[in-house]
Amino acid sequence: MARKDFLDIVSLDRAEIIHLLDQAVPFKDLFTRSVKKVPALKGKTVLMLFYEPSTRTLSSFEVAAKRLSADVTIFDVPHSSVTKGESVRDTIDTLQAMRADYIVVRHRLSGQPAAIARQTNASVINAGDGAHAHPTQALLDAFTLREVHPELPGRKVVIMGDILHSRVARSTSTILDKLGVEVAFCGPGSLVPRTRFKRFTNYDEAMSWGPDAVYQLRVQKERQDAPFYPSDREYHAVYGITEERLKEISDKGIYVMHPGPVNRGVELCDAVLDYDRCLISQQVENGIATRMAVLFGLKPDLKNEPS
Amino acid sequence: MNLFLQGGEVATEDEAPRRADVWIVDGVIKKVGVSDVPEGARVIDCAGKIVMPGMFDAHVHFREPGQEKKETILDGTEAAINGGITGVVMMPNTSPSVDSPTVVKRVLDQGVKCRIPVLTSACITVDRAGHEMAPIAGLKEAGILMLTDDGDAVPNAALLKRAMEYGKEFDMFFASHCEDPQLCGPRALNEGPVSYRLGIQGTPALAEEICMDRDIRLAHATGATLHIQHVSSAIGMETIRWWRDERGAKVSGEVSPHHLMFADEDIGDYDTHYKMNPPLRTREDNAALLQGLKNGVFRIIATDHAPHTDFEKSQAFVDAPNGITGLDTALVSLHDRFIVTGEFGWDLIVKRYSAEPRRMMRLEVAEVSEGNSADLIVFDPDKETTFTKDFMKSRSSNTPFLDKTLKGSVEMVVLGDEILLER
Repeated sequence: MARKDFLDIVSLDRAEIIHLLDQAVPFKDLFTRSVKKVPALKGKTVLMLFYEPSTRTLSSFEVAAKRLSADVTIFDVPHSSVTKGESVRDTIDTLQAMRADYIVVRHRLSGQPAAIARQTNASVINAGDGAHAHPTQALLDAFTLREVHPELPGRKVVIMGDILHSRVARSTSTILDKLGVEVAFCGPGSLVPRTRFKRFTNYDEAMSWGPDAVYQLRVQKERQDAPFYPSDREYHAVYGITEERLKEISDKGIYVMHPGPVNRGVELCDAVLDYDRCLISQQVENGIATRMAVLFGLKPDLKNEPS
Repeated sequence: MNLFLQGGEVATEDEAPRRADVWIVDGVIKKVGVSDVPEGARVIDCAGKIVMPGMFDAHVHFREPGQEKKETILDGTEAAINGGITGVVMMPNTSPSVDSPTVVKRVLDQGVKCRIPVLTSACITVDRAGHEMAPIAGLKEAGILMLTDDGDAVPNAALLKRAMEYGKEFDMFFASHCEDPQLCGPRALNEGPVSYRLGIQGTPALAEEICMDRDIRLAHATGATLHIQHVSSAIGMETIRWWRDERGAKVSGEVSPHHLMFADEDIGDYDTHYKMNPPLRTREDNAALLQGLKNGVFRIIATDHAPHTDFEKSQAFVDAPNGITGLDTALVSLHDRFIVTGEFGWDLIVKRYSAEPRRMMRLEVAEVSEGNSADLIVFDPDKETTFTKDFMKSRSSNTPFLDKTLKGSVEMVVLGDEILLER
């Protein structure tokens, strides 16, 4: 894979995706050894530029980079000149001078990582931008699903919740689709846009479609000021995995996935987290291996001057 | 001045261009027709070229006062001349807004230093804020005809209704930028598959259509004359047509070249040169608007020339400001996309981009006919124009045509006794 940046799933072809997933396997095998590091990125610098709060994605990238022996710098956005009104462009010019090889970006604006990628020679990795894309999440989701269902084509996954505002829904549906998985969306009518995927606004109908996995999204609490549904309570009753629904899921042997962090009692009840086919912890673990594969596969363009 | 434009085709708003020589003496068109070269005249070879009246753009943002980094009145008018346009109407969303006789005077004083006439519209509400009515009588006295809060809709229907009732006495007409702010996304982008793909909340066409319907109803009820600016959707256009033809509302519509030519899918990977408000809709809308232009639903073509700096447009799509430039490129792009392809003829361009906008602003129509003061351009349909930063005279170059080569070239612009442009 000779690409400089990793910005979305849309621009990857199936072969590239499978290559990345395959690459992640030996990295994951490392984790059970006493020495979990390889020297692949020794002497390289990875810069974390997170404009939006994140715990798991930031730590996951940090661990991934360190296991590849890279030097990691976390650009402290909340205490930087960004709060003094410095524009992203000027920040990038500053960072360019620090000669980072990789910049991992999270930003609230869709398209910001793409704008940064055009401006720097470093490899830019999108760690989530607005509602646009979260391609490393998609990769870890595909990896996790492939572990339990090695033959992906023909499998069915229903992604449930706030599809409209979710970058996870966009990227994960795209990667699964490219891998031959049938994808459907389910959620309140106000939160499920019409796309080329099957669309359900009724939980039971979605379940009778016969999914192999239910992928619940996090309900975005921060959208409560612009209501898309009446209350969390009603959401849980109509679209959440209740205790009763968990029985059905368990009886049918359906897997449950979630990008985290979960809102207990909203999109799923506490018991889901103890369900043996709940893949949430595997997703976190696989996040490190797949992000190592991404970092390892990119080629910064350090010879040329920035355009 | 003693100029003889020999061998060209003279375009009018009524019929296909006709072969005629044009003789101009001291800024006045002395003769139109086939004739011998007058003695002492400078001959311009116009064989294969079109001679037509100067265009008139009734929707431009010149950013002065307040944002001169993007554009000044002087540079804006030079961009117009470069594109074959010999008159413009500025929009009032400057800083400060054109909402008082003082600012009108300041703008017009700057305008008279330019080589083409500069008109301006003024705000309906103070600072376009939608709270208080602007001093309409005072604006009238300062020379204003057209009131608009362009850039935004007047959010309060009652206030707009009262302004229309009040403004009638002063013979004002209103122009509406239509959008229901609550149905709008954070920035200009059509709601649909593209907004979903890009992960940005879109603005559906109905946000524009609902507001358009509201404003036309208000105008119809109060007897006001209303012009709908930069219509972007098929249903919006149909709304205007219905009210005008079925109900006799005094309403007219405007279409911009970009809404005829581009759709949301052209945005590709967050290309901010395709970001403007109202946003680009779909290919079906492009086709419907083109049909509407040919069928006379739209009274005028106007660019909504909206300059922004490279820096501003290099930001993320959501952060980048709305708007693209248009004056340098409009006429050549219309030729390249529609005349070359036979969609319509020069008569449509002359009518919709020269004659009608002048009538709307109650100006003399520029016509290439004997006895008229010279206000004309020479256009070479066979030459090409490459829109480099250097070529364009606007201070900004935020246009999808940047560095593109299009068919057609504005070769000469003559206004009164002056040759404003000669390539």
